[in-house]
Amino acid sequence: MPPDESDARLRERLVAGDGDALAEAYDRWSGLIHTLALRITDDAAAAEDITQDVFVGLWQRPEAFDPERGALRTWLCMLARSRALDWTRRREARARYHAAAGASAAASPAYGDIDDAVIWHTETKVVREAVQALPDLQRQAVHLAYYRGHTYRQVALELNIPEGTAKSRLRLALANIADRLAAEGILER
Amino acid sequence: MDVHDEVLDLIGAWALDACDPDEAARVDAHLSGCATCAAEARRLRSAASWLAADRVIPAPPALRHRVLATARAARPPALLRTLVGAYAGQAALLDRLLGAVRQDDWGRPDPRHETVGGVVAHLAGNDAMLAADLGLPVVPLPAGAGVDVHAAWREQSRVIVDGLAARDGELDRRVRLAHTGPPPLRPLREALVQRAFETWIHLDDIGAAVGRGATTPPPEQVRRIVDLAAELLPGAITGGDEGAEVGTVRLVLEGTGGGEWTLPCGPGDHTTIYADAVEFTRLVANRRGPDSLVHSTTGSPAVSTRVLHVAATLGCD
Repeated sequence: MPPDESDARLRERLVAGDGDALAEAYDRWSGLIHTLALRITDDAAAAEDITQDVFVGLWQRPEAFDPERGALRTWLCMLARSRALDWTRRREARARYHAAAGASAAASPAYGDIDDAVIWHTETKVVREAVQALPDLQRQAVHLAYYRGHTYRQVALELNIPEGTAKSRLRLALANIADRLAAEGILER
Repeated sequence: MDVHDEVLDLIGAWALDACDPDEAARVDAHLSGCATCAAEARRLRSAASWLAADRVIPAPPALRHRVLATARAARPPALLRTLVGAYAGQAALLDRLLGAVRQDDWGRPDPRHETVGGVVAHLAGNDAMLAADLGLPVVPLPAGAGVDVHAAWREQSRVIVDGLAARDGELDRRVRLAHTGPPPLRPLREALVQRAFETWIHLDDIGAAVGRGATTPPPEQVRRIVDLAAELLPGAITGGDEGAEVGTVRLVLEGTGGGEWTLPCGPGDHTTIYADAVEFTRLVANRRGPDSLVHSTTGSPAVSTRVLHVAATLGCD
């Protein structure tokens, strides 16, 4: 698949210091990045900080994005997810420390509470249907890996299945989603 | 299991970043030499990045300003590149629209420049004026069919974009702004804002002539158009011979590219005008009449009316 031409152009503009290019990237993907960070961290302030880090990082080092290796939105999502998982792990470490010290971790707003704020895009509906169409066992495995940062070995352990089964469920789930998105013309756009 | 099979076995987990580090390293190494696996890797990783898009919870509106301000503080944008980029972006949209118009669309009527072809010729002429002032080649305008005018306009636009690629010190250089009257000499930075502005307005003129809907420019561009209008307005308002006291005028504009602008227009009371930002830029382009612009005023209604009437004369048709 050829690299997305508009991604390459956007990267070129970012490298050249075109301030509007950053605003365009933000307007296009901040909703997705913010959603992803919020779903993983379940914490509004952390989601905002991660969104900021991702876009400020893109502006400061646009050269780090390689259009040959995938779409910009994919790359931004990977950055956001990795930061959000780091944040969650630090929080869990803090919570363990506080629990050991006899203090209770502060409750964060539940992700479900903010579900009312959801905006429905055309793409949203397609992705939702693609995720819902997955067999339960595949969806379960993908959720553990994507939102909780489990490796396939941890997924296997948690679901009490062989590691080979965990790997194939992850692969089949993504292939199913890719097929559906490609059929609707929204993959790699 | 050979390395190819091992990679395909791991590729779903790899796309979700769910392998052990040594496994991920083996996959990465294989991908750089195997086009088949690399294509599958891209496909699955792209699918993974769509997972979170099954619902989108927009970031709080205030975060936009915070992120952009933090980024700009960390690395100041190159203003010339930004302004040229905005102009090039509008030109690309117009180029795409013109590429799609049918042969008989070129003769469709336009209220200001007779036909769609006339609009493009007018635009090319104003681009050529800037090119001439910058010492760049001027592309001659053919008398012939619309497609030739399209090609000439596109070439003139390309000459400006490419010609300005390496001229960062020249933003204050004086050039002519397009204007219905004698063209005023203003800094290049303003001329570039105007070129993007005019290209957008004519994009919408042509869109209307061939039955397409109106477009909205990016928020940063809307803000710069209002900046430019706010720069020109005080002189235009107080330069007339009416002599009435105008005072300080505040523009409070909402929607895409909104914000607040304060226009010092001599002694007198404060008047505030509230309107939609994009609609205000259409007023500046004289695509909205001062009487049909939806707005409200606190302070002097007479001053407000005068400001809006003068704003509608700032454009270049």
